Amino acid sequence: MKKAFKTSLMVMIPVILVAPACKKNKDKGTDVTVLKTEILKDISVNVCTDSYVDMLDKANALQSTVTALTTTTNDANLTAARTAWKNMRVTWEQSEAWLFGPVEADLIDPRIDTWPVDFTQLDQILNSSAVLTEAYVDNLDDALKGFHPIEYLLWGVNGNKTATSFTAREKEYLTSLTQNLVKLTTSVKNTWSNGYNVQLSTAGNGSTEFATQQDAFIQLVDAMSDICGEVADSKLKEPFDSADPSKEESPFAKNSIVDFTNNIKGVMAMYQGKFIVDGKGIEDLVRLKNLSLDTEIKSKYTAAISALGAISVPFGQAITAEPTKIQNAMDKIAEFEEVLDGKLKPFLQQQVQ
Amino acid sequence: MRKTTKALLAILAAVIFFQLACSKMQMPIDNPESEWLSGGSQTAFDGGSGSFSHMFSGMTTVQNRVHEVGDGQFSATFVTAPAPLNPGLGPIYNNVSCISCHVSDGRGKVPGTGESAANMLFRISIPGTGEHGNPVPVPNFGDQLQPRSTLGLSPEGDVSITYTEHIYTFSDGTTCSLRTPDYKFINLYTAIPSNVLLSPRVAAPVFGLGLLEAVSEADILKMADPNDTNHDGIKGQANYVWDVLKQQKVLGRFGWKANQPSILQQVAAAYNGDMGITNLLFPKESSEGQTQFSSNPGSASYELADSLLYSVEFYVKTLAVPVRRNVTNPTVIQGKNLFAKTGCIKCHVSDLRTQVNVAFPQISNQLIHPYTDLLLHDMGEGLADNRPDFDASGRQWRTAPLWGIGLTQKVNNHTNFLHDGRARNLLEAIMWHGGEAETAKNNFAQLSKKDRDALVAFLESL
Repeated sequence: MKKAFKTSLMVMIPVILVAPACKKNKDKGTDVTVLKTEILKDISVNVCTDSYVDMLDKANALQSTVTALTTTTNDANLTAARTAWKNMRVTWEQSEAWLFGPVEADLIDPRIDTWPVDFTQLDQILNSSAVLTEAYVDNLDDALKGFHPIEYLLWGVNGNKTATSFTAREKEYLTSLTQNLVKLTTSVKNTWSNGYNVQLSTAGNGSTEFATQQDAFIQLVDAMSDICGEVADSKLKEPFDSADPSKEESPFAKNSIVDFTNNIKGVMAMYQGKFIVDGKGIEDLVRLKNLSLDTEIKSKYTAAISALGAISVPFGQAITAEPTKIQNAMDKIAEFEEVLDGKLKPFLQQQVQ
Repeated sequence: MRKTTKALLAILAAVIFFQLACSKMQMPIDNPESEWLSGGSQTAFDGGSGSFSHMFSGMTTVQNRVHEVGDGQFSATFVTAPAPLNPGLGPIYNNVSCISCHVSDGRGKVPGTGESAANMLFRISIPGTGEHGNPVPVPNFGDQLQPRSTLGLSPEGDVSITYTEHIYTFSDGTTCSLRTPDYKFINLYTAIPSNVLLSPRVAAPVFGLGLLEAVSEADILKMADPNDTNHDGIKGQANYVWDVLKQQKVLGRFGWKANQPSILQQVAAAYNGDMGITNLLFPKESSEGQTQFSSNPGSASYELADSLLYSVEFYVKTLAVPVRRNVTNPTVIQGKNLFAKTGCIKCHVSDLRTQVNVAFPQISNQLIHPYTDLLLHDMGEGLADNRPDFDASGRQWRTAPLWGIGLTQKVNNHTNFLHDGRARNLLEAIMWHGGEAETAKNNFAQLSKKDRDALVAFLESL
């Protein structure tokens, strides 16, 4: 929700100085107009839409492992379900770098990734006599469905649950939670592949969502810097500042640092136009016009990823055990955000109309 | 020296000329107090989907941090107590976080057929006035309907909405369809008195409120004309509402009927009424006194830390106003002139100046363009909710600020306007105006289609 808001001057000065360069032309043999359209198309199809296709595959895989676990409840099947949950998280967390469009407008994000979990009501549900169908789960508050209640059921509050401790009610709830997650993932995937992808790729050329290509590029760069801000100023900072591990997101699976790393990797996927298949990305425009900016973005990215990688224990422990490493990670991510917001965004405002 | 300066100026002028010639102007580059800057120095240079969410510029590190903490708290999902994080939801509530109604700090969407009202609420009362001149709460329901509850308890009930369309035909033969909502209580947990008064309210955008709070009371009252002494048909009346901290009646500024005196009280009331989170200003649960909660154990202390309440107040106070777009477009200029000529501008006042505040320069002495007088006006029978709210009658509404209104589609993905979201676009919203705005509305209706479109284009540029 938060955006670092810079005053007009920082934007205006480069705009005025570089203004004469805004005429459409061929640069070093590359047709810039064609390139911008290609970038939007590739990001739309190869990055955003493909990520939701991939996420749906992983949601289905999670459902299979949950079915196996509820049918044959043993530790091997529990491990498989946990792995499937983590695999799906990789894609979801990367996709948080493009948290706009259907995932926001159709309220998919709050329904699959609300934190914290409502433990009190979760226990009430398990102890109630309600039939825990998918429809029942769908009607529950957001804090009672999606990734984190599933995580809670798979790992237990201390992260050390064993297969023998699963109750019949837990299995029933887990099954419906997973079905609901598959349903919502299907919805966002379908909305992207059946229309929203065209909205983004035809920005400025008939899109009703994005009147100009600049609108679309600004949407992309805002989404990229937003997730950096979210990780640096909220997900890392709030538990760290209050030295309170209970504020950690994804605490049961001890997966937070992996989540944060994938958030930042998602930013690079957008920049490079590559989620699985490599296509044109924002970097292709930057490299054509401002090679040093490209170098700076990539070095800030690498520094942020290494700083997160240096944290050697789960986040909840690292708050007290490795505070300097956490501080360093927050600083490096903030610097990455600063270059996206303070340099890449004005660059795109100049280069794309 | 002089020559150099001249040469530089010439180059600069040429550069600016190129800029103007080869692209649409996106930024104001002339007078810093130009009309581009809706929020004065606290104008955010963004016309995109996040344009309601920018924090003030030029604040101290500490202020920036408080804003961020408030931002986090504004997004925080509350859960049932006891819980390690954000406990206290309910027992009855409308929603689980600020952001789930004020999506992207913006405007609530009215529910479609069969959907529950997630981004709007229903104020309720019975006839009469309470000890502070307030609406009288409905026994067993309070002054707002909470359609959700924690597990095992009954929500108060819900409201079903149906619409009746009628066609308005302009003199040139073009038409627009206006829909009148009809509300029915459904699934009530207990009987509601038959004389209950009901007022639907959609969640309003939350940016720019710090600037509106900084306009002096004297400046607002100067615009009031409750007896219409100038005989222009437009009155403008102040609402005086109860201030919980000051324990006295003061000028109301916020809310659809100007029924809240300050951002702090607005925020605290929303925590209590909408989420069931007790706090410094409203320490009693909204469910208190209701039959189904007679055994509900009261808590010795309230649920929201004061520091967090104040951080959310500060967050809302320091959200900047989005910059205008297309100000120099000839159609937009034409629309602006018509906005004045038809009389819209008499209530939707374009220029206000905040009072001097040496302690907080960001909101001090700023020329702002909110397009409101913050006063109540009779809006006619069509829009009347017939539910008085302090000094506001059942036909009066506060002039809604128009800044940022053209960005509603981008930020919130809909164009539902007016207090109950009945208008599906700006044209419909204009055509619903009545009462003191009847003349201005008729002036608008008599314009050519081209001129009407120009006026709407002007609104889109705000």
